[in-house]
Amino acid sequence: MKAFYVMILALKVVNHVRIHKHPILDFPEKKVIHFTFNGQPQIGHEGDTIASALHALGFKELSKSIHHKRARGFYCAIGNCGSCHMRVNHVSNIKTCITPLEEGMIVELEEGLGRIT
Amino acid sequence: MIANILIIGSGISGVAIAYHLAHKGVKDIVVIDQSYMTSGATGRCGAGVRQQWATKANCMMAKRSIEFFHDAATILDYADDIEFKQEGYLILATDQEEHEQFTHNVRLQNSLDIPSRQLSVSEARNIVPHLNPEAFVSATFCPTDGHLNPFKMTDAYYQAAKRLGVTFLFFETVRSISIESGRIEKVITSKRTILTHHVVNASGGYACEVGKMAGIDIPVYSENHEILVTEPIEKIQGPMVMSFKKNIYCQQVPHGSFLMGRSTPDQVQGHDISSSWQFLEAMAETVCEILPVIGKLRVVRQWGGSYNMSPDRQPIICEAPNLQGYTMACGFSGHGFMFAPMTGVLISEIILKEPPTLDVSLYHIDRFKKHMMDDIEKSVV
Repeated sequence: MKAFYVMILALKVVNHVRIHKHPILDFPEKKVIHFTFNGQPQIGHEGDTIASALHALGFKELSKSIHHKRARGFYCAIGNCGSCHMRVNHVSNIKTCITPLEEGMIVELEEGLGRIT
Repeated sequence: MIANILIIGSGISGVAIAYHLAHKGVKDIVVIDQSYMTSGATGRCGAGVRQQWATKANCMMAKRSIEFFHDAATILDYADDIEFKQEGYLILATDQEEHEQFTHNVRLQNSLDIPSRQLSVSEARNIVPHLNPEAFVSATFCPTDGHLNPFKMTDAYYQAAKRLGVTFLFFETVRSISIESGRIEKVITSKRTILTHHVVNASGGYACEVGKMAGIDIPVYSENHEILVTEPIEKIQGPMVMSFKKNIYCQQVPHGSFLMGRSTPDQVQGHDISSSWQFLEAMAETVCEILPVIGKLRVVRQWGGSYNMSPDRQPIICEAPNLQGYTMACGFSGHGFMFAPMTGVLISEIILKEPPTLDVSLYHIDRFKKHMMDDIEKSVV
């Protein structure tokens, strides 16, 4: 049990969970992509989707449930479930789990339901 | 098992009939369904409720029913919310012929105290700003029309009926109805024999078959009508938007999704309730013409359900002319949900031989025997 808490703590301290060393596969350094999340500057890497970049940075809450406003995180990760819908470049209901991250993107959590713009 | 009255079908009509009979003190009412409650047309319907009809019979059914929906949670002592949203129906006239028909309709509706009115294109766009002004020439609007949750409404009737002692049998199929010397004696189901002299046919899509079991030829058939639903967004549309000529109804439901349907031209008769890509394509094309902004939304789901069609698109609510004790509530032609409160009231009055709330001759099956039907409902999608 103690080890479990230490692990949680470690995840919080090391705020990214990317694999750098692997016995078989290579993970070469990739180009850095700058974006903002809820107004704060953040960094992802080439090949990331919006949600994968956020996940690696430790942002686990991607939306809120409709009725009880409970946190919703990564769920299907294939663009079906709607759990990761966010406002991207001021457009609502973007499936962040399958949308590639691009330089300069403005990513925001949705307050309430999305809007048609 | 002995039943004073056996109601076949636990959709909205069946539970409404059960409630109204039980409320008037009838004991030993049994409701039977081959599946679960709302498994047929009720659970698949668009659940809009409107009073803007072209025939007197439909107008009166609808008006009284909406008055009931307005107070249903209180009347039925329902703790949950039936999600009744009363923000009107906006019906589009797409050419001069429809405009003139609607002028006539509004006059009829107003004569029956239904507060509908005709609107110009710009007045209609004040109510629904995202309407394409090129897609219609005028509109009619009735602010007291609306929408509610068909599952919750059925549950409200069900809970109230249960408290009054009604028995419900689910996943039990009626196999045959035994008639001896002109009288119903028993009903054989997949699980038992029920002794009863009174049967109510409220079996929705299967009304014709349940009629045949008692040797009654009910001139109704079922056809598949499809619906789709989009992802939810913040509220942008109050009323149901509808067009008969363009073949569409489209409503934003309280949790934010848009729900829309249309009828399939030359649909084959039968119990098929599958979904088709042809519907999806035609529906998308139609909605994008009338409400272009909805084209930006994703479709999350589609489904089909049975309309039980009658020859004049109006319900059949009566006792069978040749078989005492056999009452029917069918042929609603896609509008059984919105008429259900009055269906419950009228059937209970017919069974208990009470003076009817409405002129029930309008809904009698014998009207189809006449040379011509007086009044065929045109305001149907």
